[in-house]
Amino acid sequence: MPNNKADQFRLRVRYSKHDRLAHLGHLEVINTINRCVRRSGLPFAVGNGFARRIRLQFSQALPVGASSAGEFFDLLLTERVDAQDALAALKRSTPPALAPLQSGYVAHELPALEAWLTRSSWGVTLLDDADVAAFMGAIGLLREQGSLCYDRNGKPRRIDLASSLVSVEPRPSGMGFLLDCRSSNEGSLRPATLVAAAARSLGQETPALRVCRLCQWHEEDGRLVEALPRA
Amino acid sequence: MRLERKDCFELIEPLLGRVERPTRYLGREWGVHEGQDGPFRACLIYPDTYEVGQPNLGLAILYNQLNAAEGISCERSYLPWKDMADLMRERDIPLLSLECAAPVASFDVVGFTLAHEMACTNILETLDLARIPLRSKDRSEDDAIVIAGGPSVWNCEPISPIFDAVLLGDGEEAIVEMCSCVRAGRGHGLARKDILRKLSHVQGVYVPSLYDLVVDDGSTEWGYAVPGHGEDVPERVMKRSYADLSRSDPLPQKIVPYMGIVQDRLALEVLRGCARGCRFCQAGMTYRPVRERPLEQVVGAAAQGLALTGHDEVSLTSLSTTDHSQCAAILHRLNADLRVRGVRVSIPSQRLDSFGVDMAAEVGAARKGGLTFAPEAGSQRLRDVINKNVTEENLEAAARNAFEMGWRRMKLYFMMGLPTETDEDILGITRLARRVLDIGREVVGRGRKSGVSVSISVAVFVPKAYTPFQWSGQLDMDEVVRRQQLLLSSAGDRDIKISYHDAEVSLVEAVLSKMGRGGFELILEAWRRGARFDAWTGEFSFERWCDAAEAVGISLHDVACTSIALDRRLPWDHTSPAVSKGFLQREWRRAMEGVTTPDCTMRSCTGCGVCPTLGVDNLIAGDRHAK
Repeated sequence: MPNNKADQFRLRVRYSKHDRLAHLGHLEVINTINRCVRRSGLPFAVGNGFARRIRLQFSQALPVGASSAGEFFDLLLTERVDAQDALAALKRSTPPALAPLQSGYVAHELPALEAWLTRSSWGVTLLDDADVAAFMGAIGLLREQGSLCYDRNGKPRRIDLASSLVSVEPRPSGMGFLLDCRSSNEGSLRPATLVAAAARSLGQETPALRVCRLCQWHEEDGRLVEALPRA
Repeated sequence: MRLERKDCFELIEPLLGRVERPTRYLGREWGVHEGQDGPFRACLIYPDTYEVGQPNLGLAILYNQLNAAEGISCERSYLPWKDMADLMRERDIPLLSLECAAPVASFDVVGFTLAHEMACTNILETLDLARIPLRSKDRSEDDAIVIAGGPSVWNCEPISPIFDAVLLGDGEEAIVEMCSCVRAGRGHGLARKDILRKLSHVQGVYVPSLYDLVVDDGSTEWGYAVPGHGEDVPERVMKRSYADLSRSDPLPQKIVPYMGIVQDRLALEVLRGCARGCRFCQAGMTYRPVRERPLEQVVGAAAQGLALTGHDEVSLTSLSTTDHSQCAAILHRLNADLRVRGVRVSIPSQRLDSFGVDMAAEVGAARKGGLTFAPEAGSQRLRDVINKNVTEENLEAAARNAFEMGWRRMKLYFMMGLPTETDEDILGITRLARRVLDIGREVVGRGRKSGVSVSISVAVFVPKAYTPFQWSGQLDMDEVVRRQQLLLSSAGDRDIKISYHDAEVSLVEAVLSKMGRGGFELILEAWRRGARFDAWTGEFSFERWCDAAEAVGISLHDVACTSIALDRRLPWDHTSPAVSKGFLQREWRRAMEGVTTPDCTMRSCTGCGVCPTLGVDNLIAGDRHAK
């Protein structure tokens, strides 16, 4: 059977991650969706390597505990199945908390999702009666300092806030804020890291928080390009 | 006290961000039984973490059987890792089930899988976290009935004070009968003790509290159990045997985990029982007779299971898969159907002959990593003693075949401390390894680029109940260390790598395998001193066990290393897998004479007693491939 990528069809799927499954790690999501694809009965393409993995790519890793309404994967199919039929098949084979929401075919030539989707918006909800205004102020001061130094898994890290944090604004509910972030080869900003740094600057414990990635885009010449054209 | 049944997930959700691997506690996996309507409820527990317990096929079988039974719902629970357990205690949160996040102490029946002896402290930890009294005798009328079953029940005496009832043998039918019995007893308003009496009449069920201990001149220091005064219970409880494996659901494992688990694949039980008769092997004695699942059922179940679960690997599990009379045909059919879909087929162990290598080649396809064989002993004399019916020629032919087929790394499993073992047998281990290495170099060529190497892994022999070696003492720990040093010094080639098991863990395992009911105090003391997850290398503390033993006045060394006379009554004599004591004694004597006993599925009956006692027979789907 021919197994050339050029003869295959690149189906892009937007899916959610919420409820208990927000606590899945990125590898766990990848493994779970691999199994969902196998269960779906779709004619998925398999790589040529020894491991014979499904040809499947994912957007950037979501932190453990964060939910999302805008995750993506690209699946190569050996036959062109109607995108809505494919979506229905995937929905039937996927746990509701990782439900596929939208699908469509995209061009083969596009770069890998992880590198291509560089802009994301996040909803951050502060729990435990945290003072949102104070946190907004602290984040503003951190931005003025230009960069944020933090520790991840025991290793010191630094991220340029001027480029990675595009905007911050309060949520209409008043319970937290919306972040507009940009990732690059230098790294991407995790909302929990920003909140922890703001808490430190306020001399407080990091409050309990809920983080949700709302959407992801490709950025091209200053404008945002949808990962999937809206239906 | 029975806790109220309610969804308590909101209690542990805030903790998920503070613990390792929160996925352990999420539940709601694909394939889980959604409808948990009861009204009778059982919770099955594997007393270790989710990723260790979830692959357990026995628990999956019982889970499905109970959920298929009218009016019975079954959920699962696992022991939370230390971080979560400590947080739960700190916040006064009881152990919860996975499906409905209901307190385990709210269930009617709580069942434990006894997978191995080293899980004993985890059982106490689980019950304590669940807030169920640790001892059967301390439970109140409405507490859950706590039961157990699994491969490690054959000397359950040291943990018997924990359990209200223990199921011996296959659970497919018995688990439903046990729950139905408890349900009927509760329905009729019977007292707890009377429910236990009813349970003792379910075939294969042992109710420890209905037996008294007797210590006399004919017994060991632990004594033996006899029916309590006025109790109508069997003097010897015979195991339950599920006669025809092909009548059971070939696809019990329908739940697909989110996280990586220790055996992350679709497991199909192709065969139950093994009659090879290795004299150290408890499973080989206690799972008899041999029952094969026919080819068409295996192939059909694989296709169905892969479609249902989305796994990319199917494992054909059993005690000796390559002994299945249709093994070659099954592997061939599965590979033809599945390889194109990127699905791997695996078998857990290889037979030590060329057929085993052929089967490994069938499942390994182009992959030629390492190939594992288990000669178990280094000399032909000792292999005859343990009834490992393979010869030096078998091993050499298998090794040559494997090297010719492209394998470069060979792993060989051995045991140390087997009865009658001498230094010459230890030196035989490295001699055998060098011979395999020489064959590899002969076939592939010399030099580091050839990549030929041999790894030796040496476990310490632990005498187990209901094996012909059950009377044997374990090798003294100092002597184990000396023989390990002898082994290391004799390797003589840097392409032979040697690893061996921790003698201290093996000593405690032997103690747990040989004690009687009085040994519960040791386990309790070890747990009180912090022992949990003893099967995890990084968690086991020999010092803690030594301190506990000293506190309760038990000598670990004496219990493990003392041999028992063949005519003594043993602490486990009253619970039987139906292998006769006469057969085991005969096998012990034959071992001492170095006389082997053939496999009854390939030769004639060897008189173990299982078939006539239980009214069952070996069920072989085709013709067995005798060597």
